[in-house]
Amino acid sequence: MSATTGVRPTKGYLMEMKRRIGFIERGTEFLKLKRDHLAKELTASIDVLKGRRRLLLENLRVAYRAVTAAYISLGPTEVRSQASSLKTGLELEVLPRAVMGVRYPFIKVEKEPQIAGELDITLSEAAEKVLAILEDILQLAEFEARAERIADELGKTNRKVNALENTIIPSYRQVIKFIEDKLDEESLEELVRMKLIGGALARRRE
Amino acid sequence: MSPGLSYVVIRSHALMADLLTPDQMRILAAQRSLEGFIDYLAQTPYGRISVDTEGDKSLALEKVFYQKFIERMMSIVDLAPANIGDFLQSYYYQRFEVINLKRIIRGKYSGIPVSQIMESLIPIAPYRIKSYEDLVEAETFQDSVRWLEGTPYASLVSTLELSEKYDALWPLEITLSHLNASAVFKSLEHLPQRDRGLVRRIVQAEADVENFLVAAKQRGARDRTHSPEEMFPATYGINLDMLREAMEADDIRSVIEGLRSPYNEILVPLYEGDVALIRSRIRQHVYDIAKKGRFANDFGFNVVMAYLVFSEIEKDDLVGVAWGKTQGIPAEDILKYLAIPNFAY
Repeated sequence: MSATTGVRPTKGYLMEMKRRIGFIERGTEFLKLKRDHLAKELTASIDVLKGRRRLLLENLRVAYRAVTAAYISLGPTEVRSQASSLKTGLELEVLPRAVMGVRYPFIKVEKEPQIAGELDITLSEAAEKVLAILEDILQLAEFEARAERIADELGKTNRKVNALENTIIPSYRQVIKFIEDKLDEESLEELVRMKLIGGALARRRE
Repeated sequence: MSPGLSYVVIRSHALMADLLTPDQMRILAAQRSLEGFIDYLAQTPYGRISVDTEGDKSLALEKVFYQKFIERMMSIVDLAPANIGDFLQSYYYQRFEVINLKRIIRGKYSGIPVSQIMESLIPIAPYRIKSYEDLVEAETFQDSVRWLEGTPYASLVSTLELSEKYDALWPLEITLSHLNASAVFKSLEHLPQRDRGLVRRIVQAEADVENFLVAAKQRGARDRTHSPEEMFPATYGINLDMLREAMEADDIRSVIEGLRSPYNEILVPLYEGDVALIRSRIRQHVYDIAKKGRFANDFGFNVVMAYLVFSEIEKDDLVGVAWGKTQGIPAEDILKYLAIPNFAY
């Protein structure tokens, strides 16, 4: 179906269309600004993520090796039994935060596990290594969620900008042009008609 | 040599053939999957092991290896002459009972369901207490501890106050470990003089390393509630001054270098914080002591002790390999912490 189907070629409708396209173009500019800002945020986040991830992976490897060593050395039942004696476990609170209207989770550590005294030194060393990177793991998780949601929002914004620039605005322009053409045509017809009437009246007077 | 001991020695010699060789242990660790591990184990004296497909397979396998070790141990300990039997019972039965008591107390403290606590126990009958069920079914962990009144673990009841004060279990666990160590050393007196040396070397080496690790763990601790004298009521090759030095040292390396052999070699992984490797090394050292003891006298108590030591280390290694296989850990990461394949560090 053509964009001009059902369009009323009136001056009022033309003015309404022009008002609408002005609004849409302003909206598109805002969306472009949002897109650029989100792209900048995403690039920065990815750079930070790359660095942190590399560092965390190395630390995780060390912590995982320590946990593995503890399991092999003490046996799984003893590890579980000792771990169960820790009364104060990890307590987290997940709060919402937003950047450019994009919401992402922010993790707040409410309480860290108390491992002093209760664990065998093998397990305690492993637990300390895990605890040392716990904050980094949480921050990385938070950053990954943030980057993922920014990327998601960037995709959506980009699709909206493209749709507006390539479909909506051209179709509005087409309608405006159609109405303007129609109105020009009508005014030309009106002029010809007036001239013809004027000629006829002049001939009658003669 | 009593006829009873002769029988136990011959039996130990015979059972020694059932133990896995370092090569077999290496092959087990190198298996790509748990199925491969079980298949290879089926070709050894362990035979085909059936593991419940539901639940944690590593826990099920750990139980199987414990059962096998307990079977082997009981076939020796229960037949040993009274003097040797008394010592072996204290050394093995009471040690396992103490481990079970610690697991019960931890379970009750953290409010784990009764069935789960029972599941975590080493499958061995109680030795100095009447039953584990009564302890496990007690209302609170304090009730479980109070239930031990009138048993050889009665001194735990007086430690309960300290445990409640700090809302922690370490005072109870330290007391249990000390009770076990005292019982082992007391039962050593039952052994003939000539046989005490081997056991003393094993028990002391284990206790020395454990003491040192506890001292190393205290480094940098601000609120020490126990003095070194209270924490280490029994010290041997690593004396109280050395332990105090380890507790206060900024750099543990210099303290370890100052220790005599074999401790200065066994404790080296502590530089990197790899305590599990120290445990592997102490097992290797104990293995070495037992092996040398056997070479010194291949027709006496040393053979019995060597068989039991080898058998227990084999159990510990198998538990580690089985867990590693269930987790898909690479062979080299498992082998590093095993005692038998790395013997003679």
